[in-house]
Amino acid sequence: MSDAAAPPRRSLWARYSTASPIVVAALALFLGLVFGALIIATTNAAVLDAWRAIFHSWGGLPHALNVTFNNVGAAYRDIFTGSVVDPQGFWHSLTTGKGWPNTLTPLSETLTYATPLVIVSIGVGVAFQAGLFNIGANGQAVIGGILGAVIGSMLHMPTILHLPLTLLGGIVGGMFCGALPGLLKAYTGAHEVIVTLMFNYVTYAFLLYAVLSTPFQQPGQENDIGRTMDRSAILAPLFGTKSGLRVSYGIFVAAAVVVFAWWLLDRSSLGFDFRVTGANPTAARASGISARSVIVTVFLISGGLAGLAGVVQVASTTHYVDGGFLIGNAGIGFTAITVALLGRNRPMGIVWASLLFAALGVGGRNMQASTGIPLDLATVIQSVIVLFVATPVLVKEIFRLKEAPTTGIHLSTTGWGA
Amino acid sequence: MSLASAQSATDVASPAKNRRTRVIAVLMALVGLFTIFVLGVGCAKGAHSILTFNPLNTSNPPWHLGQLTVATRWTNIVLGLAMIALAIEVFVREPRRAVMVRFGVVAVMFLLALLFWAARSPGPSPIDFVNVTSILVGASATTMVLVYGSLSGVMCERSGVVNIAIEGQFIAGAFLGSVLASTTGNFFYAAIAGAFAGGLIGLALAFFSLRYRSDQIIVGIVLVTMLGSLSSYLNLQVFTPYPNLNTGNLAPNLAIPLLDKIPIVGPLFFNQTGFFYLMIVLVAVVSFALFKTRYGLHVRAVGEHPRAAATVGIDVIKVRYRNVVLGGAIAGIGGAAFMAAQGQFVVGYTSGYGYIALAALIFGRWRPSGAVVASIIFGLSVYLSYNLVTYNVPISIYFLEMFPYLITIAVVAGLIGRVRPPAADGRPYVRD
Repeated sequence: MSDAAAPPRRSLWARYSTASPIVVAALALFLGLVFGALIIATTNAAVLDAWRAIFHSWGGLPHALNVTFNNVGAAYRDIFTGSVVDPQGFWHSLTTGKGWPNTLTPLSETLTYATPLVIVSIGVGVAFQAGLFNIGANGQAVIGGILGAVIGSMLHMPTILHLPLTLLGGIVGGMFCGALPGLLKAYTGAHEVIVTLMFNYVTYAFLLYAVLSTPFQQPGQENDIGRTMDRSAILAPLFGTKSGLRVSYGIFVAAAVVVFAWWLLDRSSLGFDFRVTGANPTAARASGISARSVIVTVFLISGGLAGLAGVVQVASTTHYVDGGFLIGNAGIGFTAITVALLGRNRPMGIVWASLLFAALGVGGRNMQASTGIPLDLATVIQSVIVLFVATPVLVKEIFRLKEAPTTGIHLSTTGWGA
Repeated sequence: MSLASAQSATDVASPAKNRRTRVIAVLMALVGLFTIFVLGVGCAKGAHSILTFNPLNTSNPPWHLGQLTVATRWTNIVLGLAMIALAIEVFVREPRRAVMVRFGVVAVMFLLALLFWAARSPGPSPIDFVNVTSILVGASATTMVLVYGSLSGVMCERSGVVNIAIEGQFIAGAFLGSVLASTTGNFFYAAIAGAFAGGLIGLALAFFSLRYRSDQIIVGIVLVTMLGSLSSYLNLQVFTPYPNLNTGNLAPNLAIPLLDKIPIVGPLFFNQTGFFYLMIVLVAVVSFALFKTRYGLHVRAVGEHPRAAATVGIDVIKVRYRNVVLGGAIAGIGGAAFMAAQGQFVVGYTSGYGYIALAALIFGRWRPSGAVVASIIFGLSVYLSYNLVTYNVPISIYFLEMFPYLITIAVVAGLIGRVRPPAADGRPYVRD
């Protein structure tokens, strides 16, 4: 049983050999980018026109290739400069010492985007480790964000009390929303996938209700906007408001969550129970671990983290909740599923995966602004990456790797119902 | 590993099944009491609701039915009493089967009572009649999509593959269906395109979950996320510059001569789009194929005990591939049908219907006939809760919007103890 719980330590070489999950993840990233390039090339009018020209003469071929590479290259260059750093601006700042805020904005945006993503993905990852699938993280984050915004905007007190209370409100909101599927799963056997999916839609409806009804709607507003949080409740920008960099003290919250998750999963007996339940439910039951209490606790933790992510998102960026908060197909909770899978449900893995996906998301915005290629491409690339990460054997076959990569993610999810 | 987890889950669910039935009975009784006292006795004494039956969309209906005026108070009290009678029946007899159907009937009766109450004549509503025919016809469009989705689920899950990507197949089918419908103007091609797109998604699901034995739920969810974004991407990249690819026309109604003249039943069953008739044919074909043919025997064997099936020479992987692709195609047609009922493709408009269809499949115990019953109940409740908005009900529309999802949760949570999925559902098959 201890074998199942503690993976054997591997040498540095083994970690970077072809069998390693890191290599598989890198190759999956590559495949995702190739897929994205194919999509850009096949849907861009300029590229298609250039290819149409080769029906008239073969001389158009170099031109067509050129246009294709230019367009795809521009898109990916924009993703990079929009999320990491613009080399020209960086050089300018380095030589003249000016314009640092501008140069650092992409990195700051990526960190701002990654902060809640790390938190919610760790919540999803903890559930995965216990063999449970929390698809409702998005709804839990929405409820957490709403409750946090309510406390942050409708109660007034000094920062030292207000900020912790706001964050706590988010956790409680998410826990409440996570407890329901957990309890239903534990006591009625309702499959958590269906229940959490349905709860997502319930919470979206509740969000619209909340931001459009009197106590919480921004006074004097007809639109779906909630009240703005007090200055004492927000997570302030790390470098002051004047710098214009949005990266906030929220990253310390995320860091604390990472440490908590490491402790929970690797050092605490509770985390051990979780992992044993996820790896082998029969063994867990035989050794006296209560399946019910594991399910409920996992959903409390997972939901609480999702709620914390929701409130961190509000408190560090907009400071108010609106009708479009976290909603959508590519909502934070769904990205979190892919992040957790890419990070193999390990806290540090999730941090790297979040940074990568945050970079794709933030860079995608830049790409949309400058080339007009829709931001949704980033989500498509993310999904492709995860499809490949979930099927390492396929990656191995494509690249003809010699060693068999370690198996993909295994969950103890089976059919519905009982 | 997965076998063990299923067992432990059964153990979690097994105690107190009777208690659960009773809880449902109490829940039903409470709904009944609410109906009697709030929606019934709460009405003014003389309040009445008017039911009309003429179709709304034809100016010159072939028949004319008089309207029915009912006393809101007494109707709702009777409805509430009927609910309580059902609740008592469930509580006392603890029927082995169809508890959920009774629960669904109570839910629909409650919505009807709410509708009567909302449309009562000295009342706040701007509309003071309930058009039964138009409600049934409107709900039939929602129901149709759910039937396609749950039928797709039946095909896949009977062979042992969980198809959670129904939502994605809807999106793909609706998208490609819209392109074909707009370019050719013929919805037959839209159906074929929908089937092709959905089948392709089914093939992707089968490829990852059968060939590489990836987790079927993960693959399904990722496919849905991917298609949601891809459709949004293509909507901006393709439909915005070329709006004539998504012009949007409603699929024409194909009236069946004479039969469509029957009051109420005519517009509901015999004056529908081709997608509706195709759905009826598909339900019949799938039921027959699954339970009366050799092919269906193979499918069910593969879904229940793949190893035994393999022992007698059935190619498990091949059967699963075929069923998942066919199931995907059915859901794809459903997506095209949804598009054809809405008029054009809109990003995100399937809003979880694929998941409701999945719940309908569970509710319907993995049988085509059960899935149809479940889809009717779900479709009615989805449609009615949207429809209630027009009556100026003093409940926020957003709470009404929650209703179908809450019902789904209640269904999945409440009585799932007695339904049994195909034994090998969701488990990858490993050849010896």
